[in-house]
Amino acid sequence: MSLPARVSAALAALAFVLTLAGWWSGSPGIDLPWAPSLGLRLSFELDGLGVLYSLLATGIGFAVVLYSGAYVPLHLEHQQRPHRDEVRFFGLLLLFMVSMVGLATARDLILLFVFWDLTAIASYFLIGYDRQEAEARTAALMALVVTGVTAVLLLIGTLVLYAEYGTFSIPELVASVEPGGTVTLAATLMALAGLAKCAQVPFHFWLPRAMAAPSPVSAYLHAAAMVAAGVFLLGRIYPFLETSELLLDGLVVVGFASMFVGGIVALTRDRLKQLLAYSTVSQYGYVVVLYGLGDTVGVVGASFYVIAHALAKSALFLTAGAVAEATGERRLSELGGLRRAMPALALGSGLAAAGLAALPLTIGFFKDELFFQAGVERSPGIAVLTILGAALTFAYIGRFWIGVFLGPTRAPAHRVSALLTGPVVALGGLVLVGGLLPEPFVALANAAAEASLGAAASVDVFYHLDARAENLMALSAYAIGAAALAAPRVWRAAAETCARLGERLGPERVYVATIRSLNETSDRIHGIEVRDLRTRIAAILVPGGLLVLLGLLATPTAGAYTVGSLDRGDTALVLVLATAALAAIATTLPRQHLTLLLVAASVGFSLAVVYAFLGGPDVALVAVLVETTLTLLFIGVFALMPRASLRRLAALRTPPTRRWRDPLVGAAAALAAFLVVWGALSRPSVGESVAEEHVRLTPDAHAKDVVTAILTDFRGLDTLGEITVVAIAFFGIATLLRRGRLS
Amino acid sequence: MTSLLTQVVVRLLLAPTIVIAAAVLAKGYSSVGDGFSAGVIAALGVIAVYLVLGAEQADRLLPVRLAPVGAIAGLLITLVVTFSSVVRGEPLLTHAPPPGADVIHLGTLELITAVAFDVGVFLLVFGAVVGILRTVALARSEAGS
Repeated sequence: MSLPARVSAALAALAFVLTLAGWWSGSPGIDLPWAPSLGLRLSFELDGLGVLYSLLATGIGFAVVLYSGAYVPLHLEHQQRPHRDEVRFFGLLLLFMVSMVGLATARDLILLFVFWDLTAIASYFLIGYDRQEAEARTAALMALVVTGVTAVLLLIGTLVLYAEYGTFSIPELVASVEPGGTVTLAATLMALAGLAKCAQVPFHFWLPRAMAAPSPVSAYLHAAAMVAAGVFLLGRIYPFLETSELLLDGLVVVGFASMFVGGIVALTRDRLKQLLAYSTVSQYGYVVVLYGLGDTVGVVGASFYVIAHALAKSALFLTAGAVAEATGERRLSELGGLRRAMPALALGSGLAAAGLAALPLTIGFFKDELFFQAGVERSPGIAVLTILGAALTFAYIGRFWIGVFLGPTRAPAHRVSALLTGPVVALGGLVLVGGLLPEPFVALANAAAEASLGAAASVDVFYHLDARAENLMALSAYAIGAAALAAPRVWRAAAETCARLGERLGPERVYVATIRSLNETSDRIHGIEVRDLRTRIAAILVPGGLLVLLGLLATPTAGAYTVGSLDRGDTALVLVLATAALAAIATTLPRQHLTLLLVAASVGFSLAVVYAFLGGPDVALVAVLVETTLTLLFIGVFALMPRASLRRLAALRTPPTRRWRDPLVGAAAALAAFLVVWGALSRPSVGESVAEEHVRLTPDAHAKDVVTAILTDFRGLDTLGEITVVAIAFFGIATLLRRGRLS
Repeated sequence: MTSLLTQVVVRLLLAPTIVIAAAVLAKGYSSVGDGFSAGVIAALGVIAVYLVLGAEQADRLLPVRLAPVGAIAGLLITLVVTFSSVVRGEPLLTHAPPPGADVIHLGTLELITAVAFDVGVFLLVFGAVVGILRTVALARSEAGS
């Protein structure tokens, strides 16, 4: 393994251990104010829900990092990319891990939103890691747009709650919300964000596209973390969700729809990762249904389901990657019989598949037991739907595993690194351990449910060897699933038709049409705006000028224009102002670029002198320095341009149509600016201005110079923003001119 | 293009320029000047060397390759100062020591966190201005070669 892989693995392991220790020592947290006047706090707590998702993010993250240590170098070799691209991969993976842990532990809705968006950004770069491929770029953008646009709904929901209750703190909100329109609205908006993130119908189309990502990324993001963040949000805002029965029922509907759409399409996919992606859509459908059914069983079941699914599904995604590395094939129709060449992989992924199919002795059996139990408690109709969903899962997961590992060998496999199979076997082993010894996993799910419900949850799972409803339902699900596997001819045509119908009429078309029309509109406006320099400047100045003009017309003019008096002491100032004005007029004359630049600089220097006379030495100093730097920069940039074209431009004559239009426009603008400034300067200031307060407070800031105190203290955040812009401008220029090389 | 006289003068001027920049930075709290001005003054000194001696010689003479490092370090310093108050349990960018408290003096320079912030601004502005002009100069020599 390379150094970045080792470092990432160590960090992931450390984070996992720390999370466990944190859970052991009982929900530690930190709470710091960072903008108390806005009610914003840096507030984190490792509660049950936080522990569950942090453990998933760091634990499965660790397995994925180990796997990537072997996978990414091979991947880069296939694509003939330099080895240093590995750093980028592991950096992004760690960024994702951090944002996921931050999301899971945030106790403040604004923080939650920030980490929510951070996961989306990290996932954008991870999905688009093969940036030379158009497919990967489109997929990355689609994931970012779908989850990013719906993230705004999360923010709106947050603000709705803040407007009503005046706090962003989740515990405080949970304590004070009462059922009603406001909470239902906010919860609906937030739930939509969550559903889009966990790829539920009708937002599900981004997930299969995101399979353009490298396999470890899919295993991490699209099984255990990014997609799980969606249901995490449902768990976090469950107290708001449960205020409205209608909303919970809506979740049940969406969950079942996703379950069946994902399940049916998964039955028809040939590419391994596509099959797994649709299976993820379907599996998170289960979780959404469980949250929708609610009650203790539903909420504990949802958390338990997330654990079971994350373990099993990430193992299967890693299997898909290992199989592709070993054989070079990614399609079910090209694969088969790999149990002979890759027995360890067959065993590990077999356990994981058995877990998803909910066979006894795996953790998956209990996930389905809780699922059936919640269904039975609600109504017989729901119970039947849960059986059908479980049967679908059985069928497509069976199809995956049998297709890859049983039957005649189709594609020969060469040996792969133990790091590619090890994590799969380990995750598969955990699936088995969870089936034999479910207590720790159930304790985790109970703790998570406690955080959602706000009350103690103690659901226990055992193997019952009797004819209770859950066992019978599981048996019928196996039977239906096995029948479907045995006779594919019965359903193949119908499933294919459904899948094709979805492609023809599905929500992805809406997305594509929307993006296309937005692009066209943007192109059109861009075309008008930047056709030449004049339209570009006009696009800023004309709307701005019109607004100012409206303001001018609306302002009462009585006494607004006064003429002051001059005495002898002002002579120098008047002279300097006259110089500045002359210099400004002179800028219209030169034809050579360099001359024009120097004349324009002279305007700036004369204004600096004006500041000095008016008693603003700080401003004068800055004006001189900035003017000098800008002039040098302009000279440098002119030197970059071809001499010939500069000469040609200098020799260009103004076309006759512009000879009158341009001076007229300029004069009108100047007159308007003159009137506005004159009007503003004629007003005596009212009351204590901010400036006076700054002067008064300066000694408190241990300063004698007001300007410095304003820059570093009173308006320090503005300064921080401004210097950040300076830094970004520097990096941008380096990107434009030297492909991002800074030195 | 440049005479021997300018070449000598520009080298001689560099040290005083840096000293003036340092003075402007240190005296920022009691008189004219602050980190921004100091950064630009120091950068102008370096750029003068660049203009007169050319990119290659200037690179050999001065550690300007480190300009991006300076810029990034400056940004980090300002960020650390900004968020350090959060760790102390106060709102963002609350400077220490608080109003009225005693401050250690070094001549006119007072040791307060606002000065550290200003040093960050200085480093960032210095690094960015030198870096930007150097990027343009290098782009030109790369285009020429």
